[in-house]
Amino acid sequence: MTSLGSLLQKPGALVECDDDPEAVFEFLCEKGWSDGLPVIPPTPERVERMLAYCDRDLDQPVIKIPPRFGAATPVRVAANAVMAGCKPEHFPLVLLALEALAEDQYNLYGTQATTHPCTPMLIFNGPAAREAGIHSGHNVMGNYHRANAVIGRAVRLALVNIGGAIPGTGDMATAGTPAKFTFCVAENEAASPWEPLHVELGYPLDATTVTVVAAESPHNINDHESLTPEGILRMVSGTMATTGSNNAYYAGQPVLAFGPEHAATVASKGMTKAQVKQWLYDDAVIPLSRFSEETIARRFRRRNADQYANAPLDTPVHMWQKPDDLIVIVTGGAGKHSQYVPTFGITRAATRPLKRADGALVKSVQDLKRG
Amino acid sequence: MGKIFLVAPDAPVEAAAALKSSRTLGSAGIRLGVLDNSKGNADHLLNMIIEGVKQEFRVDSVVMTRKPFSSKPAPDAVLDQLAKEADLVVSAMAD
Repeated sequence: MTSLGSLLQKPGALVECDDDPEAVFEFLCEKGWSDGLPVIPPTPERVERMLAYCDRDLDQPVIKIPPRFGAATPVRVAANAVMAGCKPEHFPLVLLALEALAEDQYNLYGTQATTHPCTPMLIFNGPAAREAGIHSGHNVMGNYHRANAVIGRAVRLALVNIGGAIPGTGDMATAGTPAKFTFCVAENEAASPWEPLHVELGYPLDATTVTVVAAESPHNINDHESLTPEGILRMVSGTMATTGSNNAYYAGQPVLAFGPEHAATVASKGMTKAQVKQWLYDDAVIPLSRFSEETIARRFRRRNADQYANAPLDTPVHMWQKPDDLIVIVTGGAGKHSQYVPTFGITRAATRPLKRADGALVKSVQDLKRG
Repeated sequence: MGKIFLVAPDAPVEAAAALKSSRTLGSAGIRLGVLDNSKGNADHLLNMIIEGVKQEFRVDSVVMTRKPFSSKPAPDAVLDQLAKEADLVVSAMAD
């Protein structure tokens, strides 16, 4: 296995600047290696500590990140994780997320370069996510919680610095989204009335997984009044059914993140996740007439001619292609709110389990301790 | 002020593949390829380009291809067809 010392001898592996926090920040911003916020200087010593729980070859890319197709070796990713403020225990989950983004169905090239405001939403399940401190309670999609902030930020920094997702050249987002700083959550498995996402997808309960979704910003669903499953779901479907969503035109897998209180009401009469998905698929529809004449003519009648060429104007347009395409999780704290997260269209979610280099599932990052 | 070394957080850009042969326009007609990326007005733009090329050069044939989705690479079959049937390819997008 290649040593860090030998890798840092290669031309361009190290850069030199003034030894001052502000000077380091200025230097990194001038180089374009930034998300605009201050960072921890990625010194060789800090990068070596960041790699303490990495059992991979330090020079073997886990992904080549488009659009520049930069090789994301553990060393380079570790430099970004240091900058983001990660602890070494966070690092295996950063690598795991990048591995998931490498899956073809995610369409990382398209999601990096598009004008659409999407960014990887990282949904973690399992024991190593809890061990790393990824929060799943109050303000789960907001600020304050370090693991959520820095793991998502490290992934984003790698996408910019290694992949070249520079606004205006490699990232052509018209407006982008604040979620491009970080978007990382854990499912609140203890508060969910249903099986957690990774179990639904066929992984053991004690596996640790990340599911990556090319997400827009979350949109709140406020319902303080409904007392029945159908009442809550009616409010949810009303929030989902919007004409400007990519999911109405393409495929994609939007996310419904129930708050625990809404989830408890919806499951109170035995409704399963699959039934929730079917109910929402049927109810979250918009009549074709709600779209503009040009959109009906070009996007529906021409581009989706097999379905809409001669469809009457009262034809219901579903907000995603198949009922099971909707991803349902439970996360957050107390309160009568849930979140709807639309996605990019030409993308599918990708889920990866945390494994050692030899392929064995791990329950703790301690199993990945180097040397 | 002292100096500090940092591990570069970027990655070198891989060298682009070199052209396998030089291409010059001879007296023979061009076999023109067109790759529509499926954005809303790409076909209009490409048709204008085709007409413009025809006014300036002798064009023997035009092969029109289209990607199913703008945000994904063209399928291998499309690229193979263009490699086989076109001397040069114009790709464009227009929303």
